[in-house]
Amino acid sequence: MRGAGRHLAAGESHRGANMIERKERKPYWRHTKWQMLASTVPFLVVIIVLPLYAESLNTEKFLGFPLGYFLSAHGIALIAILTVASFVNRQDAVDHWHGAHEDI
Amino acid sequence: MSLMPHSRLVNPRLGTYFGIFVSALSGLVLLLIIFEQLGAPDAALRWVMLIGPLLLYTAIAASVFTKDPLDFFVVGRRVPAGYTGLGIASSAMGATGIVAMTGVFFMIGFDALFIVVGGLAGFVLMAVMLAPFLRKFGAFTVPSYLGRRFNSVAVRILCAALVAVPMLLLLAAELRIGSFVAAWLVGQPQSLMVVLLVFCIVLGLVFGGMRSFAWSSSAQAIAAILALIVPVAIVAVMVTNFPLPQLTQGPLLRELVRNEAIQGLPIVDASSFAFMLPGDGMLPVAKRFTAPFGSVGPAAFVVAMLTVAAGVASAPWLLPRVTMTPGVYETRKALGWATVFFGLVMLTVASISVFMRDYLMDIVAVAAPTELPDWLRSLTELGLAQIDTRSTRLAFASFSFWRDAVFLSLPIAAGLPSVFVYFAAAGAVAAALVAAGAVVGALGNVIAEDVINGLSWEPLPSGSRVWVARIALIVVAILGGLIALLAPTDPLLLLLTCLVLTGSTLFSVLVLSIWWKRMNSFGAIAGLSSGFGVALVAMLAGSSIGLAGPLAGLLGIPAGALGAMLASLATPAPNRRILELVREMRIPGGEVIYDREMRLFRLKNRDR
Repeated sequence: MRGAGRHLAAGESHRGANMIERKERKPYWRHTKWQMLASTVPFLVVIIVLPLYAESLNTEKFLGFPLGYFLSAHGIALIAILTVASFVNRQDAVDHWHGAHEDI
Repeated sequence: MSLMPHSRLVNPRLGTYFGIFVSALSGLVLLLIIFEQLGAPDAALRWVMLIGPLLLYTAIAASVFTKDPLDFFVVGRRVPAGYTGLGIASSAMGATGIVAMTGVFFMIGFDALFIVVGGLAGFVLMAVMLAPFLRKFGAFTVPSYLGRRFNSVAVRILCAALVAVPMLLLLAAELRIGSFVAAWLVGQPQSLMVVLLVFCIVLGLVFGGMRSFAWSSSAQAIAAILALIVPVAIVAVMVTNFPLPQLTQGPLLRELVRNEAIQGLPIVDASSFAFMLPGDGMLPVAKRFTAPFGSVGPAAFVVAMLTVAAGVASAPWLLPRVTMTPGVYETRKALGWATVFFGLVMLTVASISVFMRDYLMDIVAVAAPTELPDWLRSLTELGLAQIDTRSTRLAFASFSFWRDAVFLSLPIAAGLPSVFVYFAAAGAVAAALVAAGAVVGALGNVIAEDVINGLSWEPLPSGSRVWVARIALIVVAILGGLIALLAPTDPLLLLLTCLVLTGSTLFSVLVLSIWWKRMNSFGAIAGLSSGFGVALVAMLAGSSIGLAGPLAGLLGIPAGALGAMLASLATPAPNRRILELVREMRIPGGEVIYDREMRLFRLKNRDR
């Protein structure tokens, strides 16, 4: 039965293929919760801890910038973009795996 | 009908249309540069630079008149991810995030990063925890969503009343800073410019509601970003030979920091909870640029950053935008774009302030008080800077700058043609229009949907529903204009206060309403009111508890979460229908919940 569910989830043109199977909802939500934690917790730890060490990092340089400032400004911006990008990619994979994705 | 395939289709000519807009705008700027060289009167250039783009935005807004509620409130759910992200990022910064932030970076350097990091974190939290589920739910406003999620009219109306407060504060902030720049640009009184901006905002929304606003605000956001980036890229070519100041000014910055040390600019060590942002007015440079925690202490930095993040993530003027995309996947992508645009603009703002400090350093390090450069003299004549010439030797402390004018000073300091200064000012006005328009649209919809029609789940008939929303947004715009005229307050402080109140009131309730299905309407009421109440009391108590106003989120956000959880656990669990609703909201696939509800109402009325 699970195999059939996967097959339907992978089928593109089947009407109603987007409807997730009832018993698949719990594993889907568990998977989604882990993905949420994986996307937010490391990011929050970095943005809280990194600026606190900026002063000692400022003695190093990168691209000419004092490293602490560079990581707190450019670095965190890059980390935020990568975090959202990886979340979009991974969560979409989770949706397809459990057949919870949209049919458009 | 909402499910017709054509309404899901993204307009394939959007890129062409905005290409035409960008060409028209660049053509206008280039023409004005030519006219300036030919000796056209300065006042005419200033007026054309202000009014020309405003006419373009209004034309875009007026070209999409609409009567259909789905179009009026959520643009028929067909704004692609890139434009949604652009709109969300620029509504989150507004003109305060560009103009005031440049000044704050200039004065306190590193410490200003708490707003940047907070905004970025806000988008990450919104993308992961809130936006996809609100898109699947599809309600037009945040109070509508909470009301339906908890099946409670009380939650809906309480939420509408509480979110109106921070939204009006933000509207006043954006109108004040936008009118300040516009008044400087054309030399007219600020109150007249408030009236002009309110008029433009109403014109940008009244024809097609959010549909007009989505497209005109995309144009405004593009104009604002161009006006921000083009002058600083030109300056970067002049100074570092490469038009990417965000990445190439490293050596310049290190040189600057070394010179600051030679000039004896102090390293300040603020106490842990110190929070001293530069206010609205003439101020000297406070501390070395890259040295952290001189004006904002480390603990205050973290608290303020997380507060800004919570406020941005749950902002009721940004969240309706995420329901306008063609799908849940597009909504997630839109927040990725928002992070990109926000990061780009904020790094540019930081680089403007580094260039300005560098120009100032050139004077401090070399010149005597008698041989000041022309640009500084013209800045003082314009009333944007002050020089203390009493001492014989110039130091950093001799110069004071108007915080909100540092942004406009860079093209003047670099000796660019005046049109670039006017272009930068027009961009700031555009940014103010984006943020103020987002608030007017969202709050107008809240009043029309959740207050006027708040007691009934069934919407008004399509025609009157749209007209009520039009009148509500006009009233909100006028109210915001009156507040901006009557309460002259620092826009940056207003923005931070607004984010504290929003984060404390909404963040915990919104997150828990999705991730904790046990939460019920009592929890929502307790969470909303305890978050709002504690944040408000903490801000009013302010100095007596040793916590600066913008740090009140430290108490407000946990109070909201605690209130929501305790009240939910103390009262009965939600019924099966609500649990089923929450389970459905968590699955991206399937019909939009709100659209299905509207379809069923239509079917019911047809049978009658």
